[in-house]
Amino acid sequence: MSTITLDTLRKEFDSGDERIVAVDDIDLEIRDGEFLVLVGPSGCGKTTTLRCVAGLEDVTSGTIRFGDDDVTDLRARERDVAMVFQNYALYPHMNVRKNIGFGLKLSTQQSSADIDRQVEEVAEMLGIEDLLGQKPKELSGGQQQRVALGRAIIRDPEAFLMDEPLSNLDAKLRSQMRTELQTLQHDLDVTTVYVTHDQTEAMAMGDRIAVMNDGTLQQVGTAEAVYRSPVNEFVADFIGSPSINLFDATVDGNRLDGPGDFGYRLADTTPVEGYESVRVGVRPEDIELVADGIDIETKVLEPMGNENYLYADLGGHELTARVASTARPSPGDVVSFTFDEDALYLFDPETGEALKTKTEGERPGEDGHVEEVVG
Amino acid sequence: MREETRREAVWQFLAYAFILLGAVLTLVPLYWIFVASTLDEQEFLSTTEPRLIPGDSFLQNFESLQARGNVQFVGHPGEMTQYVDFGFGYVYYDVWHLWDLGALESSIFVAVVYTLLSLVLCSMAGFAFAKYEFRFKKPMFYAILATLILPIQLLVIPLFLLMSQIGLTNSYWAIILPWAANPLGIFLMRQNMRSIPDALLESARMDGATEFQLYYKIALPTMKSSLAALAIILFLFQWNLFLFPLVILEQGKYTIPVAINQLVGAQRVYYDQIMVAATLSIIPIVVLFLVLQKQFVSGILAGSVKE
Repeated sequence: MSTITLDTLRKEFDSGDERIVAVDDIDLEIRDGEFLVLVGPSGCGKTTTLRCVAGLEDVTSGTIRFGDDDVTDLRARERDVAMVFQNYALYPHMNVRKNIGFGLKLSTQQSSADIDRQVEEVAEMLGIEDLLGQKPKELSGGQQQRVALGRAIIRDPEAFLMDEPLSNLDAKLRSQMRTELQTLQHDLDVTTVYVTHDQTEAMAMGDRIAVMNDGTLQQVGTAEAVYRSPVNEFVADFIGSPSINLFDATVDGNRLDGPGDFGYRLADTTPVEGYESVRVGVRPEDIELVADGIDIETKVLEPMGNENYLYADLGGHELTARVASTARPSPGDVVSFTFDEDALYLFDPETGEALKTKTEGERPGEDGHVEEVVG
Repeated sequence: MREETRREAVWQFLAYAFILLGAVLTLVPLYWIFVASTLDEQEFLSTTEPRLIPGDSFLQNFESLQARGNVQFVGHPGEMTQYVDFGFGYVYYDVWHLWDLGALESSIFVAVVYTLLSLVLCSMAGFAFAKYEFRFKKPMFYAILATLILPIQLLVIPLFLLMSQIGLTNSYWAIILPWAANPLGIFLMRQNMRSIPDALLESARMDGATEFQLYYKIALPTMKSSLAALAIILFLFQWNLFLFPLVILEQGKYTIPVAINQLVGAQRVYYDQIMVAATLSIIPIVVLFLVLQKQFVSGILAGSVKE
């Protein structure tokens, strides 16, 4: 168990004539016992980063440290980390018992009886003790997943690395395994790096979330911090479901003018000082339907049971709002909305950098993490 | 719907008919060889009609085959002469004289050793070509494939010179080593090993496996059915080698094809004996096929990675 430190980690790939930068000088510290989720759209470099930590990819430059040990040049098998793959990668010719025990058999001098006993303990922990004699192809997806986890757990490694381990499960099983994984990680208290493209999963599982885009680290912080205080437009857009409404608005004194009927008077103009136009962000859950406000034309209403998703037209922009289940405008109906200035996000139109976020919490510090934001 | 099932049935019928035709075309000559081996030479030569009912002269033909002076087909118990005297009794240690090899045993020995050696080399090379990146990988692979177009006839003289230089004339190694790294085998193993998911190997690496353990503990077991298929190809290849063994081996060491060739004399062709020898030479192949048959189950990789 140890802290994992990535220091200006860089990974480039050759692709024909050009060099592709998959991971672009990342600095990241994963604390001892922490569950850190690397999240980002596909191709953002999150899996490559994980594979560098695993030792499956050679890094182009930078260092990786486990605790105080520099492991940058160590091979995967010398790093004492365990990895769970997206497709589980179980050994097809071995039964569950051998699959789980394989790592111990290779990397330790323990007797078969000792290994067997540990395999049984782990299997019991995962509820697969009845499956020990079966081959992977005889198992369901969820069972295969558990075997893959068992294979990682039994090694009692420095760290768990998980590459989208739940993405092949159906929705119900996924949320069940999500909880189980969290409990397991909590009980074992092993530093875990978890890669996913699913921001809901990231929010739900991570002690902290590291949002990546284009090979660079955008922001590291708790789920609440990245949700409430995104450092830029990308993070604001990526985190949150349904995603934030974003559009351009011109600044005229304390007034913002956007597409369609959008007009908003700011009480506090500090964030927009010196700007002629800004990017405006409003989260769907902060939109309130009112009698007199900004007019939008209803396009689709999706009932969710406890609430409704309203998709409406705002001067050619699609606007999403989460509204009460009692609000039932029909397509074509014009409704009015407003929102609190507290809930307004503003971004620099050129750089995407956040000018104002939901609550003025602390900005990420030099070490890349945000302290707990008090809502 | 009914139209569809009918069409399916027709296709199935045609497919079976085709397979059946293939089976008949393959089996009839073999059966005919077997029948011919059971006939007296006079019976065999006197009729122009193909016979389908076996005769009763097999053993007689076999005996005359075995009685030949120039070649030994099936071996016989040998005579051990080297022993250690322990006082209470002798213990012979020249066990290689326990059985004097005939052509059949020679062929089996050579083919088995060749097959095992070649399986190891081909699977290792195939694994490297399929799963590793290294300099000049492509040119090397194409160079290996290119050797497939060289006919054995072209190689006989240089190979003979090479073998005599390294002192392997009249040695079984001379017909085993030149083809041990079989290009066709390397190609087949490379193609099949590409289907091993990278994640499977990486997973084993994370579990602490060395690169050799990846090959030995992951790649080989998952490639069982391909290895079985390749084993048959390699065994048959060695079993059928004729020209080079004929050149490099001397009479006492002949393999089956060379030995059979000795039955075609300048004055006379011993059809009855040829047929018996041919029948005998088919048996090991059939046995090998039956043994390996159960390995031809596809889907060993099933359940390894979730698609």
